[in-house]
Amino acid sequence: MATAVKTRGRTPIAERLTSGLFLLPAALLVTALLTAPFAATIYRSFFDDRFIHQSFAGIDNYRRMFSDTAVLKSLLNTLFWLIGTVVLPIGLGIAIAVMTSAIKWGRIARLAIVLPYAISGSAVAVVWNFMLQSDGAINKALTSFGLGGHAWLLNWPMNTIVMIIANAWQSTGVAVILFLVGLQAIPAETIEAGALDGAYGWRRFRHIVFPQLRAVTVVIVGISLVNGLKAFDLIWVLSQGGPARSTETLAVSMYWETFVLQRPGSGAAVAVVLTVVVIAVSWIYLRRQLRQSY
Amino acid sequence: MIGRAVRNIAVVVLALLWLVPTYLLIVNGVSSVHGFTGTARWFPNSFGLFDNVGKAWSTAQFGPAMINSLVYAVVSGGLAVLIASLAAFAVVAMPSRRPTMWFWVIYAGTLFPLQMFLRPLFSSYAKLNLYDTKLGLFIIYTAMCIPFAFFVVRNYLASVPRDMVEAARIDGAPWWRVFASVHLPLGRPAMAAAFIFQFVWVWNDLLFGITLTFSPGARPLMAALAGLQGSYSTVGPPVVLAGALVVSLPTVILFFAFQRLFVSSLRTNI
Repeated sequence: MATAVKTRGRTPIAERLTSGLFLLPAALLVTALLTAPFAATIYRSFFDDRFIHQSFAGIDNYRRMFSDTAVLKSLLNTLFWLIGTVVLPIGLGIAIAVMTSAIKWGRIARLAIVLPYAISGSAVAVVWNFMLQSDGAINKALTSFGLGGHAWLLNWPMNTIVMIIANAWQSTGVAVILFLVGLQAIPAETIEAGALDGAYGWRRFRHIVFPQLRAVTVVIVGISLVNGLKAFDLIWVLSQGGPARSTETLAVSMYWETFVLQRPGSGAAVAVVLTVVVIAVSWIYLRRQLRQSY
Repeated sequence: MIGRAVRNIAVVVLALLWLVPTYLLIVNGVSSVHGFTGTARWFPNSFGLFDNVGKAWSTAQFGPAMINSLVYAVVSGGLAVLIASLAAFAVVAMPSRRPTMWFWVIYAGTLFPLQMFLRPLFSSYAKLNLYDTKLGLFIIYTAMCIPFAFFVVRNYLASVPRDMVEAARIDGAPWWRVFASVHLPLGRPAMAAAFIFQFVWVWNDLLFGITLTFSPGARPLMAALAGLQGSYSTVGPPVVLAGALVVSLPTVILFFAFQRLFVSSLRTNI
């Protein structure tokens, strides 16, 4: 905080009170509606599922989570989402950005890929549900080419995989935009110097372009990791985590446990585990990246 | 060169593949539900967009939901930006004891998954008679929008020269006038940007909508769309798709109108 005032200690009481008045509405709203519920959820996760007269349950809610097959599958799905939301948007994003940046009409192709980013997760779910139904558009197209249809949404793990693909359809646009910004920041001299040494095509990408995209890749992986862990709207509107709770991730399991099964203690425990995973993943990732960049 | 041809073909194929869902959304959303044979349509045959939207309007209460979301997004977004700007001004320009502590008190709110807030909010809203009310949603949306708006505006206001503040103070201007005549006009671009982001966020929210509301009177748009999706087989796919089409238009327009803004925010976000 570079602008911190140096006169602390000598600040008159009246001045401090005025500054308090400016800060108060924001601090009050955030504390009452976000920080306090956050603390309440942590607290609640150590009590049992009863609605009144709950008793202290220690880590029972957490222990039960790891013996509940639905939650275990949800953990596995969360891992799939984590991998899928990083690998697909990054891989496709970098490929599309590099290919379209070298083409005059690349801007138009990019428009098609960036467009879904402006659509809400709920609307994306509606469209993909429509395509993936047993009598939906994809199966119709497949049968007209003489290929058999597939029950995309009914069987695990296929249903989770197609949802991750639907998510990639929406989120690759961001990666494309960011990689493009990164590409534009690469000095032309480095490319020219490489050309003198005979580096073209793949070799140029591998040894000259890609290393200079490091910083932007770090940002995109960070965004993708957190978004993958928080994905809720797409899954909820598409399948409500079903059939038979097979497409849940932790974000959906929390909602299911808390509001459908009415188990507030277990739901709170799932929320806490999700938060711990979000913090741990960001922490490990960012720490590694920061260490490598020095 | 073969490489160039392969690359061009790859780009065309990828772009076309990417357009397929959007294309199907439009073709089937505008197709008449009466001519709908039960399977997806790859080519348009009739125009029924207005019928479909009308049906979405009546079965899922889309009309009230759309107005609700518009009002939530404008009021909560605007209020949050104002409140966040006041706090940003205090942290940046005013002599306060611990600006860093205040920064984290306000900013920490959005770092965690929303799932951490839902159940306690639901129970307290039920106790305070805020459950299923517009006021309840105004409050939570405003609170949710404050941290990021604060972050954006604070970063921007930090570049206002201290001399300007000191000059105004020496002239005897009270703090609120320094805010109104120096920081408010100077910070306008950042405040507008923060408002657009928060508008889109509130418009797209599903989780608070389905958790804290229930009746059409208070229900926001994405919750209504989820409800419409729930009656997929009774109203017919074209109606649901028309609904998805209509809810997407405002954010698509905003995104392409302010694309530069969204890009620069993505870069500063992490």
